[in-house]
Amino acid sequence: MKPDVTAQKKKSPGVFSLLKPYSLMVSLLVLFALLSNGLNLWLPKLIGGGIDAFNHGNFAYKPLLIKFTAVSFIIFLFTYLQGIVQTYTSERVARDLRTRIALKISEQSFAFIEKANPSKLLTNLTSDVDSIKLFVAQAIASIVSSIFIIIGASVLLLGINWKLGLTTIAIIPIIGGAFYIVMRKVKSLFKKSREVIDWLNKVINESILGSALIRVINSQQLEYDKFFDASNRAKDIGLSILRLFGWLIPIIVFTANMAGLTILALGGHYVISGSMTIGDFAAFNSYLALLIFPILVIGFMSNVIAQATASFGRISQVLDAQEFTETGQLTSSLSGRIELRNVSVSYGEKAALKDISFRVTPGAKIAVIGPTAAGKTQLLYLLTGLIPATSGEILYDGNPIVAYQAESFHSQVGFVFQDSIMFNMSIRENIAFSDTVTDESLEKAIATAELTDFIASLANGLNTKVSERGLSLSGGQKQRIMLARALAVDPKILLLDDFTARVDPQTESKILANINRNYRGLTLISVTQKIAAVQHYQQIILLMQSEMLAGGTHQELMESSPEYVQIFNSQQSTSNYEL
Amino acid sequence: MNYNLNSLPANEVKHSTWGGLKSLLKLVEQERTTIVVAVCAILLNSTLNLLGPFLIGMTIDKYIQTKQYHGVLVFSGILFAMYSVAFVSSYFQTNLMGGVGQRIIFELRNSIFNKIQQLPVAFFNENKAGDLISRVNNDTDKLSQFFSQSLMQFIGSIVTMIGAGIFLLVINIELGIATLVPALIILIFTRGISPWVKSRNALNLKSTGSMSAEIQESLNNFKVIIAFNRRDYFKKRFDIANKENYRTAIGAGLANNIFLPVFGLFSSIAQLTVLSFGIYLITQGDFSVGLLVSYLSYATNFYNPLRQLASLWTSFQVALAGWDRISQILSLSNNLVTVFDHSAEEENPPLMEFRNVHFGYQGGFEILHNISFSMQKGKTYALVGPTGGGKTTTASVMARLYDPLQGTVLLKGRDIRSYSDQERAEKIGFILQEPFLFSGTVRENILYSNSRYHHFTNQQLMEVLEEAKLEALLHTFDQGLESPVESGGESLSIGQKQLIAFMRAVLRKPELLILDEATANIDTITEKLLGQILDNLPEETTLVVIAHRLNTIENADDIYFINSGEVTPAGSFKEAVDKLMNGKRLS
Repeated sequence: MKPDVTAQKKKSPGVFSLLKPYSLMVSLLVLFALLSNGLNLWLPKLIGGGIDAFNHGNFAYKPLLIKFTAVSFIIFLFTYLQGIVQTYTSERVARDLRTRIALKISEQSFAFIEKANPSKLLTNLTSDVDSIKLFVAQAIASIVSSIFIIIGASVLLLGINWKLGLTTIAIIPIIGGAFYIVMRKVKSLFKKSREVIDWLNKVINESILGSALIRVINSQQLEYDKFFDASNRAKDIGLSILRLFGWLIPIIVFTANMAGLTILALGGHYVISGSMTIGDFAAFNSYLALLIFPILVIGFMSNVIAQATASFGRISQVLDAQEFTETGQLTSSLSGRIELRNVSVSYGEKAALKDISFRVTPGAKIAVIGPTAAGKTQLLYLLTGLIPATSGEILYDGNPIVAYQAESFHSQVGFVFQDSIMFNMSIRENIAFSDTVTDESLEKAIATAELTDFIASLANGLNTKVSERGLSLSGGQKQRIMLARALAVDPKILLLDDFTARVDPQTESKILANINRNYRGLTLISVTQKIAAVQHYQQIILLMQSEMLAGGTHQELMESSPEYVQIFNSQQSTSNYEL
Repeated sequence: MNYNLNSLPANEVKHSTWGGLKSLLKLVEQERTTIVVAVCAILLNSTLNLLGPFLIGMTIDKYIQTKQYHGVLVFSGILFAMYSVAFVSSYFQTNLMGGVGQRIIFELRNSIFNKIQQLPVAFFNENKAGDLISRVNNDTDKLSQFFSQSLMQFIGSIVTMIGAGIFLLVINIELGIATLVPALIILIFTRGISPWVKSRNALNLKSTGSMSAEIQESLNNFKVIIAFNRRDYFKKRFDIANKENYRTAIGAGLANNIFLPVFGLFSSIAQLTVLSFGIYLITQGDFSVGLLVSYLSYATNFYNPLRQLASLWTSFQVALAGWDRISQILSLSNNLVTVFDHSAEEENPPLMEFRNVHFGYQGGFEILHNISFSMQKGKTYALVGPTGGGKTTTASVMARLYDPLQGTVLLKGRDIRSYSDQERAEKIGFILQEPFLFSGTVRENILYSNSRYHHFTNQQLMEVLEEAKLEALLHTFDQGLESPVESGGESLSIGQKQLIAFMRAVLRKPELLILDEATANIDTITEKLLGQILDNLPEETTLVVIAHRLNTIENADDIYFINSGEVTPAGSFKEAVDKLMNGKRLS
């Protein structure tokens, strides 16, 4: 919650600043709104004039008909134009704002996305933008025209009879005051209701993403209970808001009726005493009806503005965030020589990696082993530049990792993630994910990952769509597609995160042989659980509780590291079957 | 059953406003009494408010025109009393109707969630998570906005309109009819154009759904986007979705904005009709100036709510479009029904038995071909085989996440379909390949839906964990049981998630425990510990282990080899190894 407070204090440019690039459209919008509403004010006058003319016996149909019809059609035209401009302006503001946010996000680092939380960013891009859209679509035009109508109607009322006019206008501060008081109370409820909606969404999201587990455990009732609590709270808040608003509407209607009564009693007096015509009296009633609606509109719109301002504040946090700037310029080809010097990574108090140092020679095969949560994945993230080191240096060919241009660097380092990440695209697009992939390297990657037969068995081959989260593929198939994705960039360095965990031993050994054959000179850093498969590697690094316990060849570690020996022994009984 | 919401047969997708309205009204049924009271309040309130102009008109004719100020004051007093009553009835109207709206949306929200809970895993596999979330959150929100904000105005406006219409007709039938003709034109226009407006809004909601699905996918997989330097991919895909959303939003916006100017135009025409026809009637001696003034008020009272209805109609169309998308979900039913099994109980039946089971996913090829095997109580079985061979599918059918297309699955000699979900879930534990954690703490996750230990204190729970030898697994978590788990468990490593899923399943003490590569990302030393924990389970627990690592299956009593949808007993461990190492891959 803290960052929210500081951001609010920082006084970001108001939501109105968003409108600057659209000043032409906004002006048009306001213009059309003013024209149609201004002309609307004229209609009661025409009617009043008609009645008076009739009372004085000089009523003529034709001029009234023509005037009235013409004004109505012009109002129709302007209202229609206003609607069109309004739609285009608001949708354009929303589209451009979304593009700006997405552009900003796309330039951010992995750490930023994780910290900002993907689901919060989703809210920024959807509901927050929507509330700004609502502001543009409704608030601007209606507030400007409401103010215009209030002022216009007031002037006209005062012009007809200033004493009666003043008493009628008195309803504006009364209604405004009632609104202010209710709105102030409702505001905190609105905030609570926003929180409850977030809560509801969280339960819904988890129940959808965890649907399989929920069905295995049969905990649907539990999920429903969780949902029910949130839903019930949402209902209670809704009813509390309603109770407050419940007072507002009767007060407004009653106040307006009192004004009508005043017009009758006082206006009647003026008509009887002859200081006012019956037509003016009728016009007074019409203007009163005109006056109430804009007051209501301003009240409701002030709420729309408040919500848009809050949304814009949240969006500004993303837009104003420090950009991840590309500083690297090196595009030289990587040899595979890597050195880590006293590298540490920590998140706040918690250390993920402590003082790690090792060297990798070009073309070497390195294994990283260690227990769960030792920091193995973090080490790979570090090597790909997904996360920065808190201290220490990571050198590729003697140059710090940040000195390399991202595009050049990532096209030489392939990474196979531990978790299956499939995009809802064709298999071809999932594998040739980087745009530098040629058909030839695609073929080679597919063959190396032992996917040729599998893809051939699909009716649509490479063009088969992978459904979201890759549910239609088995774990091993997803893993091999991810490997092909990493190989398709023709990497100099390949990072595997527990790749063998979901691939059967037979396929695994085939794949590793394929890599040796098809990608000669590749530097391989592999996080794995199985010692047997990596015994012959040039270097094995043992991580435990964020620290590098030992590093060296299998032989060296067997002699020097009791922890390594323990892991080795834990696999002994079956290790002969692993090859 | 086809669960893909975006390709449901066309006849299930209703497009008529009234059809949608009817099904919406079903939700209202239990609120009947409140609605009746509320409508009475609305009627009273509207009548009082409508009588106002009539009395004002009378006052003008009887007293102002004749210059009797005393009468004006008397009528002012009457009006004051009326308005005071209206104040109270208006308060009740708002509260009662608003309460109905809130409760309806509450019921609706709950029934959608409840429905989603009832649907089988297949439903979630056939729809994108992002799209489902958008349907439940965004579309329900659209309905909720309608119910909480617009419904009351909607009903209020209709009642006021009807009241004003009656007054118009009663005061002077000819003038009344003339005044109402423009309204009839509006009605015809609205009826004609509404389906089109609604379909525009439906398109917009759909593109909003796919846009949020797109954002969700990209943001959740952002590390791949960075590691493969495809920031442009995110931008490009988002741009396409954003542009599509813009296009449909403009379409919907333009359609929605048609009502207001048309309604405005016809209400002006109605006023003009009243004025000119009214004056004509006065000249004929059938009407008075006072009545004309109040008549103009009634015309305003009729056409102003109508104009309000124009904007409400838009939110009504949006709500209906959302309702259609939601009712698509509500129209689905669970295809995993409970059946009655009348076969006689056998003596000592196998715990799990497959009899000639065939299975394939919806719209796909058959994956399991004519599988038969049986598993005895207390034994340990290993399912091995190449990736994509059908191991996970077999396990999913065992846990009845799906029903076979042909053949029978028997649990303890009875058709598995004859067990209630509750019974089955108690008997079968299934640790899924991809562990899922709920946001909260480690404790909440390992005790998820566990009634046995739910109320235990941390200390009591630690004793239980120690007894089950699970306690050592907590060491990888900084704050033990109280370690926080963020949404989706992003802060934890996959190995840690697997440990939590393991503890969760073991603490439920199932009779049949299926581990689908449940320890794949856990180091071998910890895995040994898991092995000991499994050994420590009650003797009658049957284990089914799917794994690639051979050490995890060497203690199996029986090994099945699964490849290309066929299950064959592998015999001894040595034979299984030979098959795995040298067997010809068929997939």
